[in-house]
Amino acid sequence: MEKQIHIEPVTRIEGHAKISIFLDDAGDVRDAQFHVTELRGFEKFCEGRTLWEMPGLTARICGICPVSHILASAKACDALMAVRIPETAQRLRRLMNLGQFIQSHALSFFYLSAPDFLLGWDTDPATRNVIGLIVDNPVLAKKGIRLRSFGQQVIDRLGGKRIHPAWAVPGGVNQALDESDRQWIRNQLPEVKAIAVETLGLFKQAFASGEARDVIGSYPSMYMGLVASDGSWEHYEGGLRIVDAAGETVVDHFDPSRYDEMIGEASEPWTYLKFPYYRPVGYPDGMYRVGPLGRVNVCSRFGTPLADAELEEFRGLSDGRSGRVFDYHYARLLEILASVERMERLVADDAIVSTDIRAEAGVNAREGVGIHEAPRGTLIHHYWIDRNGLIEKANFIVSTGHNNLAMNRAVKEIAKSYIRKGQVSEGILNRVEGGIRAYDPCLSCSVHAVGHMPLRIDVVAADGWVQNTLVQE
Amino acid sequence: MDLVIGIGNTLRGDDGLASVLVNQRTWDDDCRSLVVQQLTPELSDLLKDVDRVLFADASIDSREVRLERIASAEARGIGHAISPASLLAWTQRLFERVPEAWLLAIPGQSFEIGAPIGPVARGFLSEAGRRLDAWRSRSPLPRVVVGE
Repeated sequence: MEKQIHIEPVTRIEGHAKISIFLDDAGDVRDAQFHVTELRGFEKFCEGRTLWEMPGLTARICGICPVSHILASAKACDALMAVRIPETAQRLRRLMNLGQFIQSHALSFFYLSAPDFLLGWDTDPATRNVIGLIVDNPVLAKKGIRLRSFGQQVIDRLGGKRIHPAWAVPGGVNQALDESDRQWIRNQLPEVKAIAVETLGLFKQAFASGEARDVIGSYPSMYMGLVASDGSWEHYEGGLRIVDAAGETVVDHFDPSRYDEMIGEASEPWTYLKFPYYRPVGYPDGMYRVGPLGRVNVCSRFGTPLADAELEEFRGLSDGRSGRVFDYHYARLLEILASVERMERLVADDAIVSTDIRAEAGVNAREGVGIHEAPRGTLIHHYWIDRNGLIEKANFIVSTGHNNLAMNRAVKEIAKSYIRKGQVSEGILNRVEGGIRAYDPCLSCSVHAVGHMPLRIDVVAADGWVQNTLVQE
Repeated sequence: MDLVIGIGNTLRGDDGLASVLVNQRTWDDDCRSLVVQQLTPELSDLLKDVDRVLFADASIDSREVRLERIASAEARGIGHAISPASLLAWTQRLFERVPEAWLLAIPGQSFEIGAPIGPVARGFLSEAGRRLDAWRSRSPLPRVVVGE
């Protein structure tokens, strides 16, 4: 008789989810599923709102990633207005996105995931958290807090507040960077860069071996992310690149506004999270990964000296492109360093304090796509409007969604590696959760499809038997 | 250096009281102000550098504006909210120093999503402002006037 193991809730992630592991008669793993159990539905209730409201409205999708949504939304609205925003506005949006990268990656690495691999996957869950990390390694914990604080203060100084800044607007941004704030950022950067370099060094020292980094699975896949025209790491503009597991380019410089020609979306009755897939390969084999490891694996180089040296070292650790789930953490630290170096360049240029920050226009197109790289991966906002600028339809493909197939693959791989003959421990289940945490999913951000979502409802009696099942295809 | 942190969500009725209080004032160079929806661990990075901190927050348990000294509590794991006392404990644990800390509690009645600040709660803002000014000037605290 089939047995199931449930991990519910999955802890130290953003949002609500559970994991089901299905065992066969011998007690070995037959299948595993990552269920996202919440629904936000923003695609539907944005309908009828004006395009001008969209950045502020979609920022409310999430309290962790408002900057990501506000930027993608503003870019989609730029397309609806058919404007090219002023150069300074673009630089300022880049600056805020880099601040978001630093604070979000620091949150994921230090607060959510590091307790697992620094304190030990099998340590007491009561102390396997950030408090335990502070007790065990206060120096490292301070570095994480400092990085996150810096990233948030950059956002605060640009947008006026840390969460839901109503700053990026259709056509640009609504407030220039003050010279004193520019100087504040410049003054902080040397310390922040030193922390990024030092943390990366400690990480490499602790996890130099492939074995240590195989702990939560490794499997081949394609990778996707934006790249600049020269193929370097890009987070705001550029074209989409997909590489395969060997690092060979599958698609290059693909126009992001035509994403739907390349990416299809499937759904399953057991989760609210959509399954984007690479259309030419089909569903579900068209799995690709985005986010820190996706970007690091698709880019030709970072384009900054320290990060490029680190990238070369990282590439030397794998044949082709790394398929290790654990390397998402490695890639996150590489991106923190690259973000700091990019920031240095942006604030060194006097153009960053120009007050030419917004283009004015009305409705000039009926359809607009905004794409950029959020910390967790490629974020797509696609709007259709009527002649008055009211939203008729919206489609969001959120970073976490792109990784849905890969996250399901991860839980299955990890469960198969560790669970034998039905024997399972808390530490093993924590490794399964750790596979999800490595992707740093933000589930609040990513569950919006409604109306055509397949749904299965089990009516379960008090004795545990399923009495009835209602299915909506 | 002083730090004033207004805590609350402006989209949830009287929970936005502290945000209004902090944002409607002007601050001199010796005081930094900040409005947050909730306290987070990285605020300890700011607390470590100040002499005094005042947390302003709407309170459903208070019937009058209260200004009181607070001390560190035990540092606990991250949830969706951290109390001022826990944040002080984080700061102490990480940086081995903690500022003199105060809590300014402003009575609130309704915290419904999408609701504005109610008239009764708004009536407490002037008293909260006086208490805040007194705290800033380090003068003796004014008499509490309930419901003014």
